[in-house]
Amino acid sequence: MLEIQNLTKRYGKNLAVDHVNFVVPDGQVGILLGPNGAGKSTIIKSIAGLLRFEGGVGIQRMNSRSLEAKRIFAYVPELPAMFEALTVREHIEYIRRAYNSSITDGEVDEMLTRFELHDKQNKLGNELSKGMMQKVSICCALAIKPKVILLDEPMVGLDPAAIKELKQVVLELKASGVTILISTHMLEMVKDLWDVMFVMEKGKIIGEYTRAQAKDQDIEDLFFAITGEQGQNKTGGEQS
Amino acid sequence: MKSFIYLYKTILKNRIRKAMKKPITYIFVALALVYVVIIGSSLGTLVTEFHVDSPEKLAVILSILIFFILPANFISYSRRKGLLFKPADAHFTFPAPVSPKQVILFTGMKNMVLNVFLALFVAVMGMIYFRTGILQILIYVVYYLVFENILEGSIMVLCYGNERLPAGFFKALTVICYGLMAVFVVVAFLMMMRETPSFAVLEEYLALPVIQLIPVIGWNIAVLRLIFVGPTLLNVICALLFFASTLILLALAYRAKCVGEFYEDAAKFADDYQEMKLKKQKGIVTVSLGKKQRFKEAKVEYKGAGAKAIYYRQLLEYKKSRFFIFGFNTLVSLLVGIGIAVFAHFTGVAEEAGRYNIFIIPGVMAYIVFIFSGYATKWSKELENPYTYLIPDSSFKKMWYATKIEHIRAIVDGVLMAVPGAVVMGISPVLTVLFVLLYVCLMANKLYYFMLADLIIGQLLGTAGRSVVKVFLQGIVIGIAAMAAVIGGIFLGIEVGFAIMIVVTLVLTFLGALIAATSFNKMEVTE
Repeated sequence: MLEIQNLTKRYGKNLAVDHVNFVVPDGQVGILLGPNGAGKSTIIKSIAGLLRFEGGVGIQRMNSRSLEAKRIFAYVPELPAMFEALTVREHIEYIRRAYNSSITDGEVDEMLTRFELHDKQNKLGNELSKGMMQKVSICCALAIKPKVILLDEPMVGLDPAAIKELKQVVLELKASGVTILISTHMLEMVKDLWDVMFVMEKGKIIGEYTRAQAKDQDIEDLFFAITGEQGQNKTGGEQS
Repeated sequence: MKSFIYLYKTILKNRIRKAMKKPITYIFVALALVYVVIIGSSLGTLVTEFHVDSPEKLAVILSILIFFILPANFISYSRRKGLLFKPADAHFTFPAPVSPKQVILFTGMKNMVLNVFLALFVAVMGMIYFRTGILQILIYVVYYLVFENILEGSIMVLCYGNERLPAGFFKALTVICYGLMAVFVVVAFLMMMRETPSFAVLEEYLALPVIQLIPVIGWNIAVLRLIFVGPTLLNVICALLFFASTLILLALAYRAKCVGEFYEDAAKFADDYQEMKLKKQKGIVTVSLGKKQRFKEAKVEYKGAGAKAIYYRQLLEYKKSRFFIFGFNTLVSLLVGIGIAVFAHFTGVAEEAGRYNIFIIPGVMAYIVFIFSGYATKWSKELENPYTYLIPDSSFKKMWYATKIEHIRAIVDGVLMAVPGAVVMGISPVLTVLFVLLYVCLMANKLYYFMLADLIIGQLLGTAGRSVVKVFLQGIVIGIAAMAAVIGGIFLGIEVGFAIMIVVTLVLTFLGALIAATSFNKMEVTE
């Protein structure tokens, strides 16, 4: 479970995120939507522990800053940044050691093959294209065997085969009880994945829907219905 | 901790393996070794010539270093600078279940490795040139490697990783550190002015009890005096205070709360530093790290179409800039100009040089052209912009309008460098104008020949290799122009010689520019 409690973030006098609350229950896929500058990245970075903030973030009911919480939490940032002098395989090995992950060499091989990285596993970080870096970033996150995973625009830069594979991975993670939060603008890509949707604008959650509340409504229609009327809390469910 | 050991070991192994595949590495290693030997031996000559070849004098030199290094460490760690995090750390390490204190210490390990090299350097120099005893050096190395590293690590954790003390505390600490350094310099300066400036004055100054009583810094100096000068009641007490304070700081650092709130600043620093490194690779100087440039409102009237649009757009950007077309180079040029004038006025070098004094200003100008890499400014960004290639105009015109402002900047810089010295040395206005023209030609030559070198070599060589080829190409042009100038000067007079040099440089530059203009045809050159 991923819980965001009263999260507030200021950059100087600018209020980027204003008392945001939401919960992604166990084994569900949450999607965080909103126009540019809505505060999604700030929330994502706060959850990942990269920013100072007021309020709380709970990972499986543990404080996100605690080492116990970090051990079961994986993060795929919007812009991957590699260690220039580490190979693809060495990135995964570093993560395996840092998280003391139980992932086996065989599982790593399998994962690299799934994301078409097996033949590139000896390439150094500074020899990778943006798409390949994104794949490595995803593989590193999966190598943790997380209970909660945060994906920030994970499909940007990926080729169609990798997008398909990633969607499949998300469904498999969900089936195994992993909590997932995806921040994205690519509504089409997540329309088959989501269980709960949070729409942000101007640093606040302005709408929240569950799949059941949405029934058969198209994700795009839902999104524009919420963002279409400025400042209105037009939700299928109640804003948490 | 195991993950950090793995990370740093693997990075080091891969870097060495990669470097060993490049022949240039061996050349650099050889040059570095020669450099170290030269520096070492010239230091030896200096030590002997200035009669500072004793352990007591070594203590003075090391004390001066401490007076600057230690406060600088406090300042940089308090301001969350001084630890070189990378964007990859923010991606992989910060979210990982590793203690944030370990993150600080392992990143700071590079600074500690430097301490090891410094200790070894001092040990070797001490034994060879400062006549220190082996026991003295052994004690120094142990003290430095153990206690200095403990002290530095504790300062890193307490200042960089601080989560309890308010920002105001660290601002005050920074002010105190700057103040201490300033007071140290001012008092040393006043003592030098009052007495005859000599090393003995500094020695006397650092032996003052008040210096050794300054917390941490002075106590650190007391340890050095205890090792190299011998025990006194004061330095023994202060040395004990140093060891005690280091252990207290260690205990405080161990107990300090640190859950990783510094990650926000560290990640921002990593991005800014990365950006600065990329800019540096392109030859762009960044003075203020991480500060967003502010722009004024401005307008420009586009007179003409096609490639001219590049020039007017650049002009608009410069008009919006705080200092217009003036920048770091302008300041350097002004300082150089004033420097030449002051030097000429006070040393009488112009009179000594006689009729050859006219070579002083162009000589300095040529040196400045050579040492400054200020080649990439707005014009070089044009090569990264796809629209530059799409504008329907000739590549030569695009190159000319993309670089036109650089020539105007060169005229300004040339005037600033030439005029003050020329006035002081009484050089004729015609020659002064020729100096400025020569500088403009040299800068243009540098610009177009560097562009030419990039075009020819592409990505074949690394940054250093490309720089060597660029300097070599420019050297050929300057060599030809200088020869023509000498011949002209001998037969037709110095002024004519200068004019010939300018004309030859101009012709060769124009020829180079004609070829270099191809850069504006193919975008792949810059990728």
